Amino acid sequence: MVNLMHRALQLAGEALAAKEVPVGCVFTIDGEIIAESRNTVNATRNPTRHAEINCIDYVYDYCKANNIDYQIYFSNITVYVTVEPCIMCATALSNLNIREVIYGCANDRFGGKTVVDVSNYYIQSYSLTGNILANEAMALLKQFYKGVNPNAPELKVKKDKKV
Amino acid sequence: MSSEPPIKRPKITENEIDKFITGIMTAEKNLQAILSDEYDKPIPFVKVFVGTARDPKELSKIIQVLNDKIPLKELSHLKRVRKKEVLLCQSQHLNVLTQETIQEYIEHNSPELKDSFQYFREIDVPLTPPKLRRQYLECNSKMWSVNFHPDKQLERLFSDSFFPEYDLKLHRTFMSLVFETAYWYLSKHTKVELQDLFVGINIAVVVDPPRRSIVAIGLDNRQGHPLQHAAMLAIDNVAKTQNGGAWDADGAKNILSGINLDLMMHLKERYRQVMFGAKQYLEKNEIREGSKSDSPYLCTGYDVYLLREPCLMCAMGLVHARAKRVFFAVDNEFMGALKSKTKLQCVESLNHHFDVFTGFL
Ligand SMILES: [Zn+2]
Ligand SMILES: [Zn+2]
Repeated sequence: MVNLMHRALQLAGEALAAKEVPVGCVFTIDGEIIAESRNTVNATRNPTRHAEINCIDYVYDYCKANNIDYQIYFSNITVYVTVEPCIMCATALSNLNIREVIYGCANDRFGGKTVVDVSNYYIQSYSLTGNILANEAMALLKQFYKGVNPNAPELKVKKDKKV
Repeated sequence: MSSEPPIKRPKITENEIDKFITGIMTAEKNLQAILSDEYDKPIPFVKVFVGTARDPKELSKIIQVLNDKIPLKELSHLKRVRKKEVLLCQSQHLNVLTQETIQEYIEHNSPELKDSFQYFREIDVPLTPPKLRRQYLECNSKMWSVNFHPDKQLERLFSDSFFPEYDLKLHRTFMSLVFETAYWYLSKHTKVELQDLFVGINIAVVVDPPRRSIVAIGLDNRQGHPLQHAAMLAIDNVAKTQNGGAWDADGAKNILSGINLDLMMHLKERYRQVMFGAKQYLEKNEIREGSKSDSPYLCTGYDVYLLREPCLMCAMGLVHARAKRVFFAVDNEFMGALKSKTKLQCVESLNHHFDVFTGFL
């Protein structure tokens, strides 16, 4: 378990080096890695390209190319991700009926358990375990937020009025 | 949210899409903002003690001492004085075990006022400050007065005349365009049935409001890919107008990369006043030092029009994308995350909040 999280942390480190929010993730079946990825939000200009979403895409394409029933395949997957999946990713993982999610540190800003408990909206949801190598995951995030997101525009002095 | 019951709906004909479009365009009622439930709940009340001053001339001194010794803290939205009466404290602050009276409480906490009050009474006052004029009028009872500073924007959102007529017409035009897009989509995909519009699939149109230009369109592909809901595709299509994108993003990128060209030709014929295309995207190194850049960034400043209320995944995707406002026509009672099952736009800890409007039909 720790080995798999170490791999996810390595991927998060790669994200940091690429000036992305450092989150890494591996998808596993029976302890074997079947997909791995990290955040690619800045590279794609698409704010939904989280590590989990990239892995889902990869696994789905793999199933399609090999004529595998993706619904059965996903239901056997255990996800290791350095930060608690956000509300969007948690919903996507629930829709796919993922078996289990193991994460590093909690996500106070938009966690799919901490901020909105996505499992409340499902009859059955994946088992969720946190706090695995949380300090390492958090240290990477702190390093990132010390710097400035290079792709975000500078704050305008005049705040845009809502509506 | 996980399982949608198999609803048998009467088959919708193309004629009926036309009816929707006409209905959306001709309806005169204003749109309805979807706001936090806290505005609908009645304000909770709490019991307090008030005392009548023996000598009204002493009032200002009494208040000074009270504010120092027995501050109102969480009840600071209430006036401390009303005529000759002074608000003292919440009833629950009295010691129940010793059966402390309000006179004893004053003696214990502020002895210099022990002879200041002629008599006491217990009344109900609102526990939290009113946020809307309607709530203010409800709770500003004859018993006690409440401070109220109306939030003009909030008051307008609650009125039924939020959008001026001209804006309302624009929003209704873009929503009718969503249905026109649905019509086009269904004519291209025989696999998708008309009634899927109301349970299975969705359409998303992203608009740059100041230019009244369509930046991107998402045509639902959830039957072909579990992540490719209309809003998720629309977000990726916006990325394609900014030199990015993840799904089928190999082609050349330009300001029209967010829209299917056939669809654009179809819509252009019917909506001659509507523009198409994003504002030019500039890479960091293309922006001259010190110049005021207004290169687009994600969906910042963009409005998103959806046929159906988005699910939690899509709604959170739109938060990540920093959409400015979200409009939808049809409630999604099984998975809707902006009205039906939850109201993501009201979750305070999120780092971005958009306004949500419905009421097109
Ligand atoms: Zn996520
Ligand atoms: Zn969705």
